[in-house]
Amino acid sequence: MTTTARLTLIAAALSAALAAQAASPAPPALPPELPPFGADQPLPAPRIVRQRLPNGLEVWVVPRAGLPRVDALLVVREAGLSADGAPRAGFATLLAGLLTEGTARRDARTLAQDVQALGGTLNASAGADGITIDAQALASQAEPLLKLLAEVAREPAFADGEVKLAKANALEALKAASATPGFRAEGAMAQAIYGRHAYAVSQATEAAITATTPAVLRTAHAQRFRPDRSLLVIAGRIDAAQALKLAQASFGDWQATGEALPVPPAAPRSATPVRLLLDRPGSVQATVRLGRPGIPATDPDYLPLRVTSGVLGEGFSSRVNLKLREDKGYTYGASARSRHALHGGSIVAGADVRNEVTGAALQEFDAEFRRIGREPVPRQELRETQRYMTGSFVVRNQVQSALAYTLAGNWLLGLPPSFVADYVQQVNRVTAAQVQAMGSKYFAPETLSIVVVGDPAAVAGQLKAWGTFQTVAK
Amino acid sequence: MRNLHALLAFWLLPLAAVAADTWTLPVTTTTLPNGLTLVVSEDHSSPTVGISVVYKVGMRREPQGRTGFAHLFEHLMFQGTPKAPKGVFDRVVTAGGGDNNGSTRADFTNYIERAPVSALESFLWLEADRMKTLDFNPATLKNQQDVVKEEIRVNVKNSPYGGFMWIDIGTLAFDKWANKHDGYGSFEDLEGASLADVRAFHRDYYGPNNAVLSIAGDVTPARALALVKKYFAAIPRRATPALADFGEPLGQTERRLTQGDPLAEVPAIAAAWKMPARGSADHAPMVVLGEVLTGGNASVFYQGLVKGRELSSNLESLWGLTGPWEYDGPTLFTVFAMYKPGGSADALLAAMDEDLATLRKNGVDAATLQRVKTRMKADWYNGLESFLGRADMLARLQALWGDAGVVNRVPDWIDAVTADELKRVAGIYLTPANRAVIDRRPAPLAAPAAPPAPPAPAAPAAASAAKP
Repeated sequence: MTTTARLTLIAAALSAALAAQAASPAPPALPPELPPFGADQPLPAPRIVRQRLPNGLEVWVVPRAGLPRVDALLVVREAGLSADGAPRAGFATLLAGLLTEGTARRDARTLAQDVQALGGTLNASAGADGITIDAQALASQAEPLLKLLAEVAREPAFADGEVKLAKANALEALKAASATPGFRAEGAMAQAIYGRHAYAVSQATEAAITATTPAVLRTAHAQRFRPDRSLLVIAGRIDAAQALKLAQASFGDWQATGEALPVPPAAPRSATPVRLLLDRPGSVQATVRLGRPGIPATDPDYLPLRVTSGVLGEGFSSRVNLKLREDKGYTYGASARSRHALHGGSIVAGADVRNEVTGAALQEFDAEFRRIGREPVPRQELRETQRYMTGSFVVRNQVQSALAYTLAGNWLLGLPPSFVADYVQQVNRVTAAQVQAMGSKYFAPETLSIVVVGDPAAVAGQLKAWGTFQTVAK
Repeated sequence: MRNLHALLAFWLLPLAAVAADTWTLPVTTTTLPNGLTLVVSEDHSSPTVGISVVYKVGMRREPQGRTGFAHLFEHLMFQGTPKAPKGVFDRVVTAGGGDNNGSTRADFTNYIERAPVSALESFLWLEADRMKTLDFNPATLKNQQDVVKEEIRVNVKNSPYGGFMWIDIGTLAFDKWANKHDGYGSFEDLEGASLADVRAFHRDYYGPNNAVLSIAGDVTPARALALVKKYFAAIPRRATPALADFGEPLGQTERRLTQGDPLAEVPAIAAAWKMPARGSADHAPMVVLGEVLTGGNASVFYQGLVKGRELSSNLESLWGLTGPWEYDGPTLFTVFAMYKPGGSADALLAAMDEDLATLRKNGVDAATLQRVKTRMKADWYNGLESFLGRADMLARLQALWGDAGVVNRVPDWIDAVTADELKRVAGIYLTPANRAVIDRRPAPLAAPAAPPAPPAPAAPAAASAAKP
């Protein structure tokens, strides 16, 4: 960034800070007639039966009485997008998608029909750190469900015809996604945040899709799918002994066959901020994103930062949404939040706003980011955010698949199994001083990259106060 | 024939749906003297609740010249009352450990919350408070007109396809204004909405007698009723305008439209057929047929279009803006698919017609029908798993069918459908004559009306092509 731009930025920041001080609104007073909240109920701690099979596979069983369904979730660590490398960008998504397009024993159509007959679903998807295969079936079908899941994970066919079709459709999907401003903004922001780290590349490219072959897929599958890097979660109307028996029967003799891939290094925790304007001619909104590197979930700052995110930018009552939507009417929704992965994390904020208020929206984000680092969050606001986070956690995990995903997601992030049981207490322990420290540490505007997708003719002038933007053609 | 099919299916799939796989929900329904109907489904497996308040008004009943008003009004329900000014509602829901939302559909508008049960009483107070009256305030009206316009920009005007598979397709398929107009609304109509409109809409459609309140989760029916009486019983009933006749006949001639889309990169079609009336003899068979055709990767159209002929890269289907059981007037079964290079709308339609002709001739084999039904019942349960989804579905069913108990009958209705019925409804509804089709193709951006003359030598595209 040039000196001129930096000076401009500071000037803008000063005026924003003054504006924010003048405009910090007091929260609305509660009506005297409103009945108070009742006493909090004790938290239902999920009963998790854990076992490690001799081949290294972790098996967690969560018996539940609920709807007549069993969920089985296999998560494979270091098998996701970060294992791809730039020349194979997005490859893990193709790999995951093709797992459910036929096995050594059933072709794609038979597989789809068999899943349907179980009253079930079967999906595989890739994230930054892993591939998740998610299978569900009616409660009476637990045994065939586990067999099917093991088959998909261990013996995918990667048949020529299916690979060819998946590639053709992936190219179409990429073309369709590239037409949306959010997709372009996310891709550019990931690069700005992660630089040369593997997390920078999360979206497929035409070249990477085209280069995929059945042989490449088979090699990657052999390298990535390993019992000692996997967790199987079984949840639902099933008893633990029966579930463990089924897990042993389906996965007990699973062995890795390829060379394990190296684990990616830690992602950077800081980056030189960039200013990008992604040209989208005729766009009637500016898709605004602000971001910077963050931290992995295993960092001691994790929960204090999550709470800070909650105050600032998660949910209807968060500061940026109240300001940009409810006060100013600039947007349908604004957010600012931390995201976390196994080897790093990020901070991403944003809103889609009408062209005329692009600069004004940046001003409001800037003001809120400065305020959270400058002033301790009022006690009541902190308390309400903590209640929101802990309440939502209990509400979300009422749902069986959500609980299974919570457990699997935490494991994928490297968090200990006790994390779920301790979550509420840990969130409630975060102090206003910590939130302020997290605010200045992770939301300082000087450290944030800005990506705008929009029509330069309509928004470029408003961006001048925020640095020198490089325009990127479509 | 019926019994034979069922028996055959049983032997073909000895593991399929057994007693352990059925699920019956407790449903307790009470109507207060002021007309408010309460539905409770008790479940103590989690110390949380889901709450849904469904008002029997949606896009179909908004006034002419006020397109988008039912939805704008939904936003205003969160903008404060004389007792709980703007900001209180969201703050209380957040502090209660929960979240809230609302949505507007053709025949109803729902307001939903979920939270730990400790927040139940506070939330009921909030719902009762905004049922009584609102803070009819020009500042919040202006604010939400702006927010709704941004919602329309983000979902329609700035988005590839612009929701044509649910907005434009209805305009093409239907004849009556109530059914065919854009429920998101024109900016002109939204800007024209006045506080008088807001007052009248609240008075006419948001009384207790036009509402269903449903609670699912960690509460007994007795406690729920006591709380609801405490906060809602004193709200007087209000006169609600009579329902107009929204009915219209099936299509007589195929309707086709081609649209250019400057934002899209991949061409797509929406093909939509007018559906049978809710609760008619053809309803359940048509729902099952929809699943046979588009329900997942084993479905006929997925296997015929995405696989098989490889004409489209995806396949989605919609039942209006809701689901197959939640409508109360003319609605559409719509197939949305992006088609591939070298493909065309005609090729996709011909392929669908070919598959439909086969189905009308041969029907669906017993094993397929059994599989489809098994998954449909499982999906029905899945939708009811979360306390919020359960409360909301119960409220919708009570509002639309007049009986929340439908929740436990849908699985039986699915089970009772025969292969012959599928052939019959395919012949009545899924015909070209009863179809509306929009072919949406990427198109160049129209030249701006008054282009700001760029400096001639800038060549911005070439100069800025490099990524960092």
